[in-house]
Amino acid sequence: MRLILVDLPGPKRYHFYPLALCRPIWELRCGMTSLGEKLIDKFAPADVACFVPPYMADAYREETGRVVNDPAVLAGDDLLILDARVKPDGLDVEPVGPSMAVFDGDGQCLLARIRQSDVGRLDTRSIDALVESARTTLPAGDIAVTTWEYTWELILANPDQLVRDFAAFGRRGIEGKVEQPVAIRGDHRDVYIAPGVEIHPMVVIDAAEGPVYIDEGAEVQPFTRIEGPCYIGKKTILFGTKCREGNSIGPVCRVGGEVEESIIHGYSNKYHDGFLGHAYVGQWVNLGALTTNSDLKNDYSSVEVILDGRKPIDTGSTKVGSLIGDHTKTSIGTLLNTGAYVGSMALIAATGKPLPKFIPSFAWFLEGVVTKGFGKRKLYQTAATAMGRRKMPWTPAQEAMWDAIFELTAPERNEAIKKGRRALAAQRAAM
Amino acid sequence: MASVQERVIAVTARVLGLDPAKIKPEHAFTVDLGAESVQSVELVAMFEEEFGIEMDEDEALSVQTVGEAAEYIAKVCREQGVEA
Repeated sequence: MRLILVDLPGPKRYHFYPLALCRPIWELRCGMTSLGEKLIDKFAPADVACFVPPYMADAYREETGRVVNDPAVLAGDDLLILDARVKPDGLDVEPVGPSMAVFDGDGQCLLARIRQSDVGRLDTRSIDALVESARTTLPAGDIAVTTWEYTWELILANPDQLVRDFAAFGRRGIEGKVEQPVAIRGDHRDVYIAPGVEIHPMVVIDAAEGPVYIDEGAEVQPFTRIEGPCYIGKKTILFGTKCREGNSIGPVCRVGGEVEESIIHGYSNKYHDGFLGHAYVGQWVNLGALTTNSDLKNDYSSVEVILDGRKPIDTGSTKVGSLIGDHTKTSIGTLLNTGAYVGSMALIAATGKPLPKFIPSFAWFLEGVVTKGFGKRKLYQTAATAMGRRKMPWTPAQEAMWDAIFELTAPERNEAIKKGRRALAAQRAAM
Repeated sequence: MASVQERVIAVTARVLGLDPAKIKPEHAFTVDLGAESVQSVELVAMFEEEFGIEMDEDEALSVQTVGEAAEYIAKVCREQGVEA
């Protein structure tokens, strides 16, 4: 059976921005692994192929080595086609069986199971054509399919998912180096310290409320307190961090200060003091010293997030921090509002006041407003420098993808720039 | 109506806090007028607001002097059909 993961442009794709601007939704994480890894683990396919928005296909293929946007994979095997948003938990479907398809209320195909013998009845010239012919040809599947709807759902589900993933991984004990005195609170069977990990003296690992998994090559420096459930990714360094419950961090992150119930993708840094709570942070982000986000409103009402620059969406939760896109950098002292959206490739120079709740991608936030700043070329140079420091290349495929993202996000950015210009002019006129 | 250059000088004076009478076309924004990098960005934004145009940030930030800025802005106004 071939598993085909699908994340094509659709009406809900922006629900996962800014994180999904530069990656398929199944690369978002919850717990110790990505959504895609969870789907693959559940169905154990012989092979996996992917369909992603065309603008990111080359970069994703280059990064993962997967078969991407190749219609040839639509024949020659039994197929299980899954939308990236499908939740594996509770999905009661055999990967191989009679052909059928399930569509959501927007007409988007969530799941299609197609026997190899039925493929000939369908149009396999493209994934869109296959889905359309499945809609008219295959019987509707009578199964419940639940989906992730917004990024903040991953944040809120992270603590429970960490507990389940720890149990599923089944690893326990200390295989790394632990320099005493280190205190482990709770059941030691709820702690796993992988080979190559270095735990310095004066570290507290509190597994009383949930398991702690510290992955290979991580380093935990003195005065760090890690509360479970928690996952510290490979080669991540914690600097005296107050690592509260519910975090998934890394790989190759450098994190200090206070972090609570947050997901931080690889190669991102929050080296210094400052609070990050109920946040989702992309790759290659740098949060300057004292960068802090609010994750709770003063009146305890549910948090609203603006994903498109216009309309606030009620999250239904009183705890949502910030969504921060890949390659974004914040200056010292940046204050992020509750439910803040900070796009990808943005540069924030703080003014001391909380930022607006929506900062578009590629924005240069200077003097309290969104500006064109020094343009995307300068941002690319910074990205290449940051990646080079970790021996990772900035490639033409990535640049082409980011050029496409620049165009994709232009409407909300241009609107914010115009608003910023008017605000600056008004400030100057008042001086 | 003020010329493009007069308007450029007026905006420059306002953003950099200078006396417009002392700003000359040959003055470089950074070396002679002391514009810092953030102020350069602000100057571009204020020129766009003043003239109602959109400038390419790379081209705009490569302009060195007040006179060059006036020439560049006049060109952009022509290209974008804006009366300067």
